[in-house]
Amino acid sequence: MRLFIQVIITGIMVGGIYALVALGWTLIYKCSGVLNLAMGELVLIGAYTCLSFYMWGFPFWLAVLITIVVGFIMGLLTERLFLDKLIGEPILTVIMVTVGLSFFFRGIVMFIWGTDTMVFTPSVFPAEPVNLWGIVIGQVYIWSFVAAMILLVLFVGFFKFTRWGLAMQATADQEKAAMSLGISARYVYATAWGIAFIAAGVGGALLGNINGLNISVGYLGLLVLPAVVLGGLNSVPGAIVGGLIIGVLQNLSGAYLDQFTPGGVKEIAPFVFMVIILLYKPYGLWGWERIERV
Amino acid sequence: MSYLPSGVYHEYYRQDHAWWQTRFILAKMILLGLIIFYVIPFWSGLYIIGVATLIIYTAMGALGVQLLIGYCGQVTLGHAAFLAVGAYTSTLLILQLHVPYLLSVLIAGIVAGLWSVLFGLPSAKVKGFYLIMTSLAAQFVTVDFILTQYVSQIGGRGQAFSLPPGSISIGPIVLDDDVKVYFLGAILMVLLTMGVVNLLRSRVGRAWIAIRDNDIAAETMGINIVRYKLLAFFVGGFIGGIAGAYWVSTLAALSPEHFPWFWSLWLVGVILIGGVGSIHGVFFGSLFMVLILEGLKFAIMPLIPYYPELSMKFLFLKEAAFGLSICLFLIYEPNGLAYRWWQIKNYFNLWPFSY
Repeated sequence: MRLFIQVIITGIMVGGIYALVALGWTLIYKCSGVLNLAMGELVLIGAYTCLSFYMWGFPFWLAVLITIVVGFIMGLLTERLFLDKLIGEPILTVIMVTVGLSFFFRGIVMFIWGTDTMVFTPSVFPAEPVNLWGIVIGQVYIWSFVAAMILLVLFVGFFKFTRWGLAMQATADQEKAAMSLGISARYVYATAWGIAFIAAGVGGALLGNINGLNISVGYLGLLVLPAVVLGGLNSVPGAIVGGLIIGVLQNLSGAYLDQFTPGGVKEIAPFVFMVIILLYKPYGLWGWERIERV
Repeated sequence: MSYLPSGVYHEYYRQDHAWWQTRFILAKMILLGLIIFYVIPFWSGLYIIGVATLIIYTAMGALGVQLLIGYCGQVTLGHAAFLAVGAYTSTLLILQLHVPYLLSVLIAGIVAGLWSVLFGLPSAKVKGFYLIMTSLAAQFVTVDFILTQYVSQIGGRGQAFSLPPGSISIGPIVLDDDVKVYFLGAILMVLLTMGVVNLLRSRVGRAWIAIRDNDIAAETMGINIVRYKLLAFFVGGFIGGIAGAYWVSTLAALSPEHFPWFWSLWLVGVILIGGVGSIHGVFFGSLFMVLILEGLKFAIMPLIPYYPELSMKFLFLKEAAFGLSICLFLIYEPNGLAYRWWQIKNYFNLWPFSY
């Protein structure tokens, strides 16, 4: 029982980071209809930027702030240079452009930073674990979760209460109506990419604190896909809940199923769940069901 | 010259169904056959044969992807899984049961086809992005889990199955040098291409194209879309399996690392650059991708004395260049090389009176 609770709590903590990245993904999909397969590389870019600045002696919060700024600029540039020209193209074309982008970014990241695992030194969060009523959790997990939650709340507040956020919501809801009210859809697309870069980058920086940073952190970008499929592609609360659930499920299967197999369950369990979800509930928890006519 | 005069002058069905309707096209095909089966294997060096073998392997894998994406509209981003299933089936049959290689290639194709149907089952219910997710799962479940964790344990050979020299032979001929491997590949490639082209001009192919263009409309016309989609998955997986089993003959040891997710995306990139929905596109795409990479290698070679780290980092540059070229092709040449080829051909067909 102790193990079970321990696993669940770790799952929720990691799931918070997944939720953050999933939010970025959903945002792009909601606003511009682009199915982004380059999310893992956005994570890598943010994580390595943050790590580099931290290693140069900036305090961690400042490094994260710089990551946010760099991420936003990169997001705007990416949208302007690549995605802007693809508005109205078939879905496969857009997906493959994001795949191309993912290779491009990954190649550049590996070219600059290499493939060795890098660690935040000195470590950002204290190493000794916290003991909560007998359940032991590393402080890294707690602080990452807290940071992810703060950012999530900030984003949700941004969408609900600011002029820009409302403009983005309007565009996601009804693009033509929003444009007729004077909202520039192109700015909204660019902002969506910028915010996705921010969310992914901060998520990557937090994850890099937990296990060290190498190219396999980009795997997070693929883990996001089961989360958004579970939550429903165009639902922001769905992405958050989906991220948390996938985090828990992944840790549970790692703890309980790993002993029956030679290993590797933890990596593929989310994808198996995803196929099952797709078979029984293809539009996820809160996604819009699409009705098609000839 | 390659066009018929306007109007249809056929007197027999045989003429109407002929593959090569004019002598000029026949002559072109004979020339191509000469190049493939005589000039490349006997008049060029081992290096060119090696590159040609790689092109053939890429084209074989891409042919299955082209069938699924370009003709049936079922996007797959996990085709390397089916290549891997084919390769492993063939290797295990040879090493464990001592089955003749050609028979094992055939069985590998069938097993990979059935495996592909298994992951094609969700296509009955979902499509588009959701189907892409399923194919993604196919890649990770097959290669990273089943093959790495379970299949690699069979026979206690360790993580990689080593194929001792001489273990792969067709009858008395041992496939031990590049020329023989090249010949096998070229023959398989020709057979597969002929098979696919023939399928596409039949009822089955027309049904696939109808499903690609609009599956709901196709269903209202009486096409059993689930059956035809699964058939497409079977044929695509079959071709992939044969490609994988063929690649075994070039390897000294087989391991799951030969079939990463990168390779799945690579195959999709090949058909996107070559042209979606065109058999020509498969070959143009494979030629382009392989030759560009070889060219990049040559371009970097003189720089290595000055920047020694370049040779280590070449792999990363290759990835970045691949990604960028896919993006640029899709943005500026969305119809692929096959379309450009068609335009060039048209220009010369009508020359000098093109308008």
